Formats: sequence, C-alpha cells, structure tokens
Amino acid sequence: MTDTMQMPRGFEDLAGLAAEWAGPSENARSEVRWNASAADFKAFYDAMMPRLPDVLAELGRTTLEEMDIARTNLFSLAAAFAEAAPHHELYGGSSEVPFSFSARRFVPGHGDACSWATDFR
Amino acid sequence: MNDLSDAAQRPGAEAFSHLGRSLEEIRSELGVDPVSVQSIRDPAVYELEREKIFKRTWLKVATDQELPEKGDYKVKELPVADASVLIVRGKDGKVRAFHNVCTHRGNKVVPTSGFETFGKSRANVLACRFHGWVFSTDGPLRSVPMESGFGKLDKACLGLREIACDSWEGFVFINFADPPEQSLAEYLGDFGKLFSGYPYNEATTAFRYSTVLECNWKVALYAFSEGYHVPTIHAGSLPGFRGIEHSDFKLIGPHASSTIYGLGMESAESTGQFAGVLHANPDQGPRPDLLPPGINPKRRPEFQFELPNIFPNFLIHLAAGCGYPGIAFFTHQFWPLDHGRTLWEGINYFRPARNAAERVAQFHINALHRNAWLEDTGTMEDTFTGIRSGAIDNMLLMDQEFMIRHADRSQHAYLAR
Repeated sequence: MTDTMQMPRGFEDLAGLAAEWAGPSENARSEVRWNASAADFKAFYDAMMPRLPDVLAELGRTTLEEMDIARTNLFSLAAAFAEAAPHHELYGGSSEVPFSFSARRFVPGHGDACSWATDFR
Repeated sequence: MNDLSDAAQRPGAEAFSHLGRSLEEIRSELGVDPVSVQSIRDPAVYELEREKIFKRTWLKVATDQELPEKGDYKVKELPVADASVLIVRGKDGKVRAFHNVCTHRGNKVVPTSGFETFGKSRANVLACRFHGWVFSTDGPLRSVPMESGFGKLDKACLGLREIACDSWEGFVFINFADPPEQSLAEYLGDFGKLFSGYPYNEATTAFRYSTVLECNWKVALYAFSEGYHVPTIHAGSLPGFRGIEHSDFKLIGPHASSTIYGLGMESAESTGQFAGVLHANPDQGPRPDLLPPGINPKRRPEFQFELPNIFPNFLIHLAAGCGYPGIAFFTHQFWPLDHGRTLWEGINYFRPARNAAERVAQFHINALHRNAWLEDTGTMEDTFTGIRSGAIDNMLLMDQEFMIRHADRSQHAYLAR
C-alpha cells in the first residue's frame, strides 16, 4: 500500500481510501480490518457505498488478466470494501464478528494469494 | 415436506425415492430418545474410532482440481492414522496415493509444512532428501545412490507403499485398509448416485479456511450437520433471515442427506449490489437446472443447498448458486488430531469470475459465509468443555438434528464390527 495510489480516471478521489484500506491479499486486508474502529468502518462505508455502482461498473469492464495498475488498485479497494461492509451493516462497527470464534484463528489457505490471480485457489 | 415420491418430480428423481423419509419414518427408524455423549467424552472410544472407522473407511483427501497436471502432488498429514499421505498425479495421468515414507529407513520423501503441502515433480520423480533414493510418481523405486554398497537390494520390492485411492466426481478418496472392504463406488452407494452429475470441476475458484479446534471431531461435525441452529447462532450474520425449512430427509446407508430451503432474506444494501453483479452472469447465478434430479426434486424456488453427511467426516453442501450468491458448493471436513483436538477445513467453491467485478463480489459473499462459519465454530470448544464436565450425559436431538442421531448410529455400527 502507498499513499499515492494511482486510480482510474474518475476515481481519483478514492486514492486516499485505497491507501488506507486496499491490500493485495486477504491476509493483508484482514490486518487492516482487524485494527479498524467503528468510526473507521462508518467513514469507509459512507464514502464508498455511494460510489459502489460506478466502481463495480468500471471493474466489470475489465478482465482480471487485463487490469492495469490503476484498475488493480481500484480492485483492491473494492475487495477491501466487500469484506469490510458487513462490519458496518451487520456487526455494529465491531472489527470482530459478534459472538463468534476468533477470526485470527481461521487460517485462509489462499490468505497470501494475489486476489486477482486467475488461478486463485 | 419430506415426500420424495410425488408425481410432480423432476425426471429421474424417482430413482431416489427410496432414500426419502418422512418425519414419522425418521422418528420410527432412528428413535426420539436422547443420545449419549459418552462417545464424545471418552478417549478410549476415540482410539477405537481410529482403528475401526478412520483406518477402514474411504476418506476424501484431495480434489482433481488440486492436482491438475502430471507430477502435481499434495501431501496430507493425517495424525488420526499416524500417516503422512502423498497424493500424486503420475505421468500416466492417474492419481495415486502412497505413504509419504521412504522405503530405505522411513524418512518423509516429501518434506512437509503444516497439514497440507502442495508441490510439483517436474521430472515425474520424487527424491528423498535423506539419502537420495528416487521414486517414480507412480510408485516404483527408480534409483539408489551407492546401490552396490547394500550387497543385496531388490528395488522391485521397494517402491512407495501404496494406499487404496479412487475418485468420485473429482473428489479423491483413500482407504487405509489393504484391501478395502468395499470399492469407493460401493461405499458411497446411493449417495454417490444422488450427488453425481453436477459439474463440480467447473467451480475452480476456491476460498479455503482451516483451524485447529480444541474439541472432539464429532462436536465439530455435529455443529455443521443441522439447520436448527441457524436462526439463533447466525442472528448476527443473517439478521434479515426469515427462517429456514430443513427437510427432504434421506438415509443412505452410513451416509445421510437433507435439504435447506430458505423462506426469504432481506440482504444488506452492499450484499444486494454484489449479488446483482454475480446474478447478471448466468454461470454465477442460481442454476437449479444443474442439480442432480434427486436433489430438490420438486423444483422448489426456495432451495438453498443440499446438506449431507458423508460418513465419517465429510460434507458437500451443494448449492448450484441458489443459496449464497455465486457459491456452487462448499465443503467441510473434520480431521481428528487427537481425542480433544480437531482440524476443521471449510472451502467455498465458485465458478471463475468473468471480470474483476465478479471476483470482488465473490470476495464479499465469501466473507459473509466465512463470518457465518466463525459463528458456527464459536460454539464448538464450549460444547466440548461442557460435555467433558460431566454436567450432561445425553444430547437431546430434535427432528432437524436427525443427521447427528444417524451419524452416531453409523459410528456405533462400525465400532461394533
């Protein structure tokens, strides 16, 4: 992650969010999410949710193989939002799923895999 | 809703009508009495399970898609059988299983890290790092450094020790018995027919999770074997859920199955958008037409997924995109590490994303489902502690928990052999 994330034209305003939240793998994004506060989740949600239709439309126009750096950054931001949104919508802003097993004890076999890899498994 | 012998069924469903059970039939066959927790609590029972269940039944250890090319291998550590198992696709394309043991002095041929190790043999040989004995991926011992120094060495008898291995619908099973009492097809029986025909191999995007649970393996298995818990334990991750119907009960030898029908769900706003992306692609959307004919035989639109229990420790929840958006199927497996420790493995399978938006949507759906699994696993260690305390001697099981009652029966039948 970098604080000068290149974004596709029309999505430059999301560069700051990408620097804060985006990560190339599930493990990288989980570390960010586990350290987020309810206020962090709300701010992310409020900024991203209105833009989600446009973000998904932009990503829908590119295959995983064809993504340039800017779209890859947008992809990683969208993936972070995809995983973070339930914490605002469903879990009251908690970084943990309430009344659950510790997420840190779940080991994703794909945890360090590049999230846009075509052979993701 | 457990009648599978109705006239309005899908063509071919009639072949499975003998598996279906009404609630009355389930109660009559399996009883309604409490079930003892002694087999969970008693370490001596676990020792019997190792010998009479895990070393005698067919166990799923891999999938074809994990070993797509010749020379691909997977090593699975199975403490329940004191074994390290090498599953490898040979140069003839066939998948075989061997003890991951060098026939020289017993070292692991493939060094391992963790419970699963993946690799590729580019020359279709595997060399033991201890002294350099080289084995073909189809088993024979190929070469021995300083062979003349042994004086006498019959290499033809010193191949890797093979374990019975067979595949069903792309799932690779092994059986430690030599020879197994039944072929894999015989062992799966009508379960194999009921679940056959779905294109499992097309769902190649896999999200894999595992964890070590401080509980007996059956506590973990049972927690994922019923729908009774959904309205309570998943109230956090499924707050808009208007309830489920758990029905179409089926008894299939040592295996069993049932169906989860959803009665509607108000999804969160973001989930609605991500689901919309997946459902815009016919391959990612609900595909009830791909379900085998004996599953959801009446084509009910509320179908979510089929919930089986494949004896002794494997579940394939077949959804065809009808439940969680885009999920083709998901599996659970419960590997005993010792009496009170279990390796749980859960995998969500999707069809490949057509574009970057679909992959993002898959991450959202996977996260929702992973989080529901966190709610499920959150009960297991507490349950085992409670059972070990001696405070209860029995489980009280309602109709939707019939697969627990049935699994307990299947276990006792194997232990009595």
